[in-house]
Amino acid sequence: MNDFISQLKKKIIKTLDLEDIKPEDIGEDDRLIGGDLGLDSIDALELVMMIESDYGVKIDNKELGEKVFSSIKALAQYITKCRPELAS
Amino acid sequence: MQAGVGQLTKTRVFVSGIGIISPLGNGLTETKNAIKSGLSGIKPLSLFPVPNAPLPAGEVSFALPGDVPRTHALALVAANEALRNLHMLPDAIVLGSTTGGMPLTETLIKEKNFNPELYKYHGTGSVAEYVAEKINFKGIVLTVSTACSSGALAIKLALEMLRTGAAKSVLAGGADALCRLTYHGFNSLQLIDPKGAHPFDIERKGMSVAEGAAMLLLSAGNDPPQGALAEIIGAGLSCDAYHPASPHPEGKGAAEAMRAALADAGILSEDIDYINLHGTGTIDNDLSEAKAVRAVFGQKMPHHSSTKGAFGHSLAASGAIESAVSVISIIEGIVPANIGCSVPDPALGLEPEKMVKRNTKVKAVLSNSFGFGGNNAVLVIGRANGQIRKAVSRERKPFVVIAKACLTGAGDLRGTFEALKQTGNCAGKVDIERAAEILPKNRIRRLKRLPKMVLNLAEQAVKAGGDQKPSAIYFGTGWGALSETYDFLDKLFESGEQFPSPTDFIGSVHNAPAGQAAIWYGAEGANVTATGGDYSFEQALVCASLLSREKDAPMMLISADEHHDILSGVLDRSVKSAEPSDGGAAFLLKCPGADAGLKIFPSFFGFMQNSTEIIELLVNTLGGSERICRSFGAIFAGIPACERSIGNDQLAELQSLLPEKMPVIDYRAFTGEFASASAVACAIALECVESGRVPAFGRAPEIGLDGKGILMLGLGRFATAVEIISS
Repeated sequence: MNDFISQLKKKIIKTLDLEDIKPEDIGEDDRLIGGDLGLDSIDALELVMMIESDYGVKIDNKELGEKVFSSIKALAQYITKCRPELAS
Repeated sequence: MQAGVGQLTKTRVFVSGIGIISPLGNGLTETKNAIKSGLSGIKPLSLFPVPNAPLPAGEVSFALPGDVPRTHALALVAANEALRNLHMLPDAIVLGSTTGGMPLTETLIKEKNFNPELYKYHGTGSVAEYVAEKINFKGIVLTVSTACSSGALAIKLALEMLRTGAAKSVLAGGADALCRLTYHGFNSLQLIDPKGAHPFDIERKGMSVAEGAAMLLLSAGNDPPQGALAEIIGAGLSCDAYHPASPHPEGKGAAEAMRAALADAGILSEDIDYINLHGTGTIDNDLSEAKAVRAVFGQKMPHHSSTKGAFGHSLAASGAIESAVSVISIIEGIVPANIGCSVPDPALGLEPEKMVKRNTKVKAVLSNSFGFGGNNAVLVIGRANGQIRKAVSRERKPFVVIAKACLTGAGDLRGTFEALKQTGNCAGKVDIERAAEILPKNRIRRLKRLPKMVLNLAEQAVKAGGDQKPSAIYFGTGWGALSETYDFLDKLFESGEQFPSPTDFIGSVHNAPAGQAAIWYGAEGANVTATGGDYSFEQALVCASLLSREKDAPMMLISADEHHDILSGVLDRSVKSAEPSDGGAAFLLKCPGADAGLKIFPSFFGFMQNSTEIIELLVNTLGGSERICRSFGAIFAGIPACERSIGNDQLAELQSLLPEKMPVIDYRAFTGEFASASAVACAIALECVESGRVPAFGRAPEIGLDGKGILMLGLGRFATAVEIISS
């Protein structure tokens, strides 16, 4: 799981072009959207595309989005719940 | 456009013709019948193949002529119908469009076909120009692109054109066609309802993208002309200055625009019998609009409905289509149904009409249009024979220039001047990394080349103006955000039309940079983006002169275009063999020009299909050849490379009409070829007038201005004149 979280962090930084943020700056329980990272709803939609394209997992409504983007841990858990093979 | 100065004839503005084509039918009669029968035109998309199950959309069934994109064809159908009973052509065409030639462009990009000949109808401005050509029109042509408020904004501009006496009759409206860019773009934002739009319903999940066009023939007069259908009583504009794509959560900007429209109409909220809501069906829009409407109308809510459950959301066309719906409501005495709303969302506190309401006295309608960039435009339409409105007049006056800034291949205004003095040249691409240095990094993370340029220019002008923040933004761009547009389509097609970038979609709309500037400065007044190719700067300035009021705080006029390695050479026929160049300029302006100082005024704006005849009219409008020689010490001529032959002839024609030849600075020779070159030239000309001379640029001789101003001419397909004077 930890490996997957670090992979996910790198992907987020690359997708959103977060030049000044390093993977270790993203705390596992930190708020991903609307938190200190400065990410907003447009970034969330950008991540939705990346997650569907790279992992085949859909996050297709606002309520689900709010839940899974609450933290990187929640996001990783949701993706691996849909695609258990990714956690191993 | 006539000068408008001193022409103070009071007038009312009537709708004397309507043309409409939409998913509900072709023509006013079909539309009327469909509305009366409570029909919906929304069904699964069939226009182009999509990878997943097609989402519901509002398609128009019509025979598309083979040679133009759908947007152009739709606009022409509507224009022909609006002008059907007219024996004379109008003086002006004002059109709102966001997609322009995109339906064709995206197909070509998908096929990786970059033959420039096939892209000649790409520009949003080409829609109105195509209509003008087809109806053999010679007069003012303006194109605005403010996303989903464009059509209503076009009608507001036409209203002011008539009030200022700049025109006696105007054909105004909007057109947009369905295309992959908007279909996949809105889907990437999760704003499309898989069951079709059902605005204000408790189960609503989004909009249905649609297409269509509507054009209104508006005429000025004190009494309704024979056959008049309605009167445009007033209109209001505002900007949320809140978010690039989401409405203000409390509907602040929307409420402001409604209040401004009512005030402009000189009526009270209780005089409104029906509100045609923007009502896209998205969760956020409907909530924000409901709050705004309740704030303005309180407990005395008139009948209200959104017609987007029937028409879908045709973006730039929607405001014009809904103004036609408002007229139908008035002349037929009906309230259109809010199709699709079976259980109104209790959180909204609205009660939209679920069924068509007949036999209703409708004297005045308020029609809402809101768009990306927080752009809001509201129209108030009344009965043709109603006595609600007194005639009004407005005056266009020169602007006082508070501050100016520019960006070129040689840097800012100082760098540009230095380069001109040293080498006679400032062409080249803007060093965007350097330009971005003055902008906070966290706020420009998602922005690409054009919005960065625009924010740099705005920031430079604000700083130069002693930190005065603008209250309104007027933006001109020939081609818009090419990087975002190309990247969106590239990613869309690379991913088999599955995974485009939502960020690029939001950034691709022409008015995105102006929306960013509004957010940056909290500019909650008008936010207008004009897109008339090489004449976009002049069009933005004309819009500003039509809409600015004496009591207004300073406003910002910006014009910029970016060079894109793939698209610029394909779209802009002047770029071909020239050195890649881009840039723009910004001006902090105050209205009116009562104070002494540096002034700028767009005194002539015409579209004459490559003719030299227009020059005589231009000279007369400017007060004759004697006055030109008396007032101006030099001409700054803007002749795009692709218009060189006709532009040279026009310039020669002008010189032949003047008592003595005037020195001409052919500025594209040193700015390079890009659509906003005239804005850069304007900044340079202002600097020259301020210093009283045009310095020796390279090997060119210095020109003393003798206390006179500079006349900026745009030549070629359009002829424009901008006066720069010091008084």
